[in-house]
Amino acid sequence: MTALLSFGRLHKRHGTHTLFDLRDFTLEPGSAYVLTGVNGAGKSTLLRILAGLVHADVEDVRFDGAPLAFRPYPRALRDAIVYVHQHPVMFSTSVPANIAYGLTARGAPRALIRERVEEAMAWAGVTHLTGSDPATLSGGEKQRVALARARVLRPRVLLLDEPTANLDGEAREQVIALIPTLTGAGTTVVMACHDRDLINLPDVRRLKLRDGHIEYR
Amino acid sequence: MALVDAVHDAFVLLLTGDPVLWRIIWISVSTSMFGLILATPLAVGAGYVIAMHQFTGRRLVIWLAQAALSLPTVLIGLLLYLLLSRHGPLGGLQWLFAQPGIVAGQVIIALPVLLAFTLTAVQAADPRLAETAIAHGASRWRVMTTLLYEVRFGVMAAVISGFGRVISEVGCAMMVGGNIAGETRTITTAIALETSKGDFAQGIALGIVLVTIALAMNGALMLLQGDAHAARGRS
Repeated sequence: MTALLSFGRLHKRHGTHTLFDLRDFTLEPGSAYVLTGVNGAGKSTLLRILAGLVHADVEDVRFDGAPLAFRPYPRALRDAIVYVHQHPVMFSTSVPANIAYGLTARGAPRALIRERVEEAMAWAGVTHLTGSDPATLSGGEKQRVALARARVLRPRVLLLDEPTANLDGEAREQVIALIPTLTGAGTTVVMACHDRDLINLPDVRRLKLRDGHIEYR
Repeated sequence: MALVDAVHDAFVLLLTGDPVLWRIIWISVSTSMFGLILATPLAVGAGYVIAMHQFTGRRLVIWLAQAALSLPTVLIGLLLYLLLSRHGPLGGLQWLFAQPGIVAGQVIIALPVLLAFTLTAVQAADPRLAETAIAHGASRWRVMTTLLYEVRFGVMAAVISGFGRVISEVGCAMMVGGNIAGETRTITTAIALETSKGDFAQGIALGIVLVTIALAMNGALMLLQGDAHAARGRS
């Protein structure tokens, strides 16, 4: 199978200190990965590099098997990869407008936006929040709205930074239940997390950042 | 008693729609508004770019902008006078002692105020907002409009403060405008002139207008800040 996204080398430094130096780092299409490691290992940084939010030194980047220049961050990856923060932030518009944000920004037709937003809101179980002020949402609601905001874009890679951090009870379970449905739709999901229930999800491949290298488990 | 009479006469001038008085008010408000309309996109755009990007000389630009906040307007008037005078490099524009000259001064005076406020507002914005916009495929322009919308209260405060600064300045308008009746006489230059002539009624009337504008501007600013605090309180 052709890798969806691969790096011959992915090297991140902070000054003279190497945070990590990964060789032959590869993401397969439609797979789910959990990225673990101690605090400070670079999990969030790796996701942010993949999302084009942080610079790194890279070599031999391939997307869909074709070589790709990684800097400046290419449009092909910007269209394919969506990153969701550990604590997602809401724009001060409305919940549907938040979910529609990426589609609107990409100039999608209004009918398509409406259709996808309704579908994503139902998928994330946030239809009842249609008239809510985004600023008043709970942590779990924000996380589900953020997942819906990412899902409407039908990303090929979805990067989730600690998606269940600071959630408990029903909110956490609701978010965990959404993850397998994402890979089922063909999206590659990479989650930085410590959550045992996410790590133990079926068909999830485990990556561990340790001492600047990645271990495949 | 003279003061009471002057105040009475001032209200009479205001309430009877004295054409000379209202012409002065119109010139002041229109040149200030026009200057602000020209300065706002420039300053807000520059404030956003400076806040969001690292580049060589960034700190120098911020330092200069902040220093310009405390620049006496009479000095700006002097510089503009030299530029716009008949033998100056911009003399061909014939803006000296004309409203475009006053507007040019208002733009220069408003720019650092608007820029500094916008810079502060954008720098104070949650960095995840811009990252979320970028990570969802927004173009640079879209990221900018998204972020400026999120800090709209700060930008509106900038515009209100800029308006307050330009409508209340006297030095630049006096030097560049020349205080020509019906043409370049603004509220502040008229107050200075009428007071020197001993005609306190018109000066007081114009002072009342300036105070009313200041109160309205600051009231609007307080309302905006209240809305902003309320929005932050909800999040």
